[in-house]
Amino acid sequence: MHMVIYPSYSLGGSVAHWREELGMAEVVSNKGRMWITTGIVRGGKLYIFLEDALFLAEIGALQLFDVDEKCIPLEDIYKKVAGGVGGSSWESFEVYRHLKSLGYIIKRHGVCWSMKQVKSASASVEGESENGCEETASITEITKLFSSMQITEAGPVFDVYPPNSKFRKSSPGEPMFILCISSGGPPTKKQIEDIEGQCEGIPLKFCYVEHGRVSIFSFNDVELPVLP
Amino acid sequence: MGPRWKGKGSEAKALANPISNSISDLQSSLLKSNSQGILSGCSVLLATNPQQTELLNQTCFGRPIITVDKHKQWFQFTLEEAFYLCFSLSCMKIVDGDHILKSNDELWEYMVSKQPYFINSFKAYSHLRVKNWVVRSGCQYGVDFVAYRHHPSLVHSEYGVLVFSDGNANNRLRVWSDFQCTLRLCGSVAKTLLILHVNRNGENGIGSCSSPSCLDRFSVDERTITRWSPERCREDQQCLCKS
Repeated sequence: MHMVIYPSYSLGGSVAHWREELGMAEVVSNKGRMWITTGIVRGGKLYIFLEDALFLAEIGALQLFDVDEKCIPLEDIYKKVAGGVGGSSWESFEVYRHLKSLGYIIKRHGVCWSMKQVKSASASVEGESENGCEETASITEITKLFSSMQITEAGPVFDVYPPNSKFRKSSPGEPMFILCISSGGPPTKKQIEDIEGQCEGIPLKFCYVEHGRVSIFSFNDVELPVLP
Repeated sequence: MGPRWKGKGSEAKALANPISNSISDLQSSLLKSNSQGILSGCSVLLATNPQQTELLNQTCFGRPIITVDKHKQWFQFTLEEAFYLCFSLSCMKIVDGDHILKSNDELWEYMVSKQPYFINSFKAYSHLRVKNWVVRSGCQYGVDFVAYRHHPSLVHSEYGVLVFSDGNANNRLRVWSDFQCTLRLCGSVAKTLLILHVNRNGENGIGSCSSPSCLDRFSVDERTITRWSPERCREDQQCLCKS
């Protein structure tokens, strides 16, 4: 399997400050092309979710610091994931890592890349924009979503975009698909239909993780032709 | 996965001989000879003349029974096949062991009692047959049916079919490992897994479906389940974004 290794690791890597109250990290020093496809922009600042931070920390591209300016060791980042901090889970991280390593661009469903993305979308309905992104001004509004986000249930978790060297957060286009994690078992017909209804025509995929292996399935709505 | 025709000329041959024509001929032939099948357990046996033998083979209804009978051939139908010929195509009558003719309602009651999930199974079977797909048993592949675009000698089967219904009463594909199993099986014989979901549309409970007329109130949703490989997708370059 091809592993993406970002060049600037160990000394000279990027730095982020973990913000416990947000359940996210604020990137203070972003080095390398990976930031074009990682993190969300709010109020001119770059924020990342726990899975983004852990992925980059694992490959040595990011150092995470706590409020006391101490570098958070990998062990403690794993513990944060174990604790479900910031709406994360080990399972969702494994899925994230699997796709990110293969070059796919991933973000949490329901969160816009940046406010520019929200503005450029057709804002014909107040408070809504394309792809169900919330129109929030501040980062704290997003983190309030975490309490309602339950990654263990079969619901949309990630928006996945294809590998793209010309990706722009300000106009990312539509996701290639929306990914649901369905660890309890395969989704029922009703669950599939309900989530499809929420996702406005963007293809859906369901996945689960077992023993470190990620399996992804599509449930395609088809109609067999009438034959002559 | 589109249709995989077997060899050159198969597609043209299929186009020149639509299944619907063969079924139409079969209907006429069975009606002309006033054919009567014999209900026996979960099968129906039918004596056929050479023309009917040919047409049944062309349209993949039933299996031939090898006997030394020189004057007629014998075929064995599943309950779905027999009921389709009898009820949907109205070209075959069915008698029991005492030579007594069974009405459609009597046959329905019998078949429903004999075979669990007959109602859903028959609805799914007829849903595909009505669209002129060739439908055969899928039990050797661990599925309910296999569906072909034309005769199996001309084309590989495209779909391995599983029949579901409201409440998933038959406990199929309940856990992910079942998915892996069935998909692997389908994949190794180059078929796509097709789920036919029979919507009862409010008709629940045994009492409410006491005659085949309830079939009209059902609808069938089609979904294929495929496994997505992020590695292969990326290598195919089909999913790469163009600026």
